[in-house]
Amino acid sequence: MKILPYILYLFLFTFFATIISDMVSIFGTMVDLLIIIVVMVGFYKSETEAVWFGVVSGIVAGATHLSLMPWEIFILTLIILVVNQIGGRINLESVVSKIFILGCCTIVHGVVITLAISPNEFFFMLVRYILPGTAYTLVIGSIIFFVKDGYITWTKIKALF
Amino acid sequence: MTWLTTVFHKNRRIVSFGLAAVLFLLILLSPGNVRPFLGNAAMMVFYYPFAELKDSITRMQNVAEDNRRLKNLLAEAALQISALAEVRRENQRLKEFLGFEAPENFQVIPVRIVYLGHDRYPVSAVINKGAADSIDVNQPVINQYGLIGKIREVMADHATVQLLTDPSNAISARIAESRQIGIVRYVPGEGMILDNLPADAFINKGDQVISSGLGGIYPSGLTIGIVDSVLTVKGSIKKSVWLKPYVDFLKIEELYVLRSALE
Repeated sequence: MKILPYILYLFLFTFFATIISDMVSIFGTMVDLLIIIVVMVGFYKSETEAVWFGVVSGIVAGATHLSLMPWEIFILTLIILVVNQIGGRINLESVVSKIFILGCCTIVHGVVITLAISPNEFFFMLVRYILPGTAYTLVIGSIIFFVKDGYITWTKIKALF
Repeated sequence: MTWLTTVFHKNRRIVSFGLAAVLFLLILLSPGNVRPFLGNAAMMVFYYPFAELKDSITRMQNVAEDNRRLKNLLAEAALQISALAEVRRENQRLKEFLGFEAPENFQVIPVRIVYLGHDRYPVSAVINKGAADSIDVNQPVINQYGLIGKIREVMADHATVQLLTDPSNAISARIAESRQIGIVRYVPGEGMILDNLPADAFINKGDQVISSGLGGIYPSGLTIGIVDSVLTVKGSIKKSVWLKPYVDFLKIEELYVLRSALE
């Protein structure tokens, strides 16, 4: 098990969360890059690697809010495990299926963390942040999936112009 | 030991899941010890470098903002300084004019030039006061150094001054020392000349030339210039002198119209 790529994924997440996230937020709606990374690791890596990446990414995500750390570990490990099982059992040829799964995971992550932080404002948070954030994450995630599966390539982009 | 390794390899999945579960339980059940330790470690390794980077970027942005603000302030200050310098120069000119006494029976109307018409040398100027301020045609115009010209045209709020440098403007003048009378006019490309002087007139370089008071427009005694050189043509009954005007017509700004107190 090579751990360097996973460390780089986590650095990519913390770099995004620390510096980029505020810059690319739209009226407070932010991209959940960690879920995109977690779902991709769940799809493309082995079960053991996926579980450990889920645990460690939960620790990193919860480092800024220690009371949320167990919740982050639990939900990210659960998500990565479920995605890994789905990816292994179902032949996911369609990118749309992957995007759909990404959407479900983003909503579940947002709902669980919101319920853990402020259950009283859940519906407001759902409408104001979780659903718009899911849409934003899906847009970015779709681009990444399309690039990863070869639907968007540099040659095709050049051909447009 | 071999037995343990074999068990581990055979049940790698279960052992891995078990270890993950133990770590999770440790984190869940010991919020005072394990959680802060792992949180601090994650912060130090994954967040701190980027937080420092972001802090540096923010500081650089603040410095750039300060720099931009200070540059604006500097530009404003430079503008104020140049405006103050201009006011100081104006103040100096006005102070010089304080020593000037208007000719008897004349009032002084201060005016400012709004347009100086010239190609190589100014021949006319537009001033910021007109008929509404009692400015009238043929009133003499001076500044603190001497005679400038006369009012040629008057509008309600503006008037045109015909300067001494206009070749069509000739005035009667005299040498202050010898009291000889001649005509001062401007010769384009050559300069100001006082001619029609008698051939035997006694004139020295540096003699002062003033208005004679003849002609009914200019009062007597207004300074025009000094004699620069004497031009004597053999056999001629007239003598001419080149003048060096007191006024630099390219630099005139504040002028004063002389209005007769009798008007």
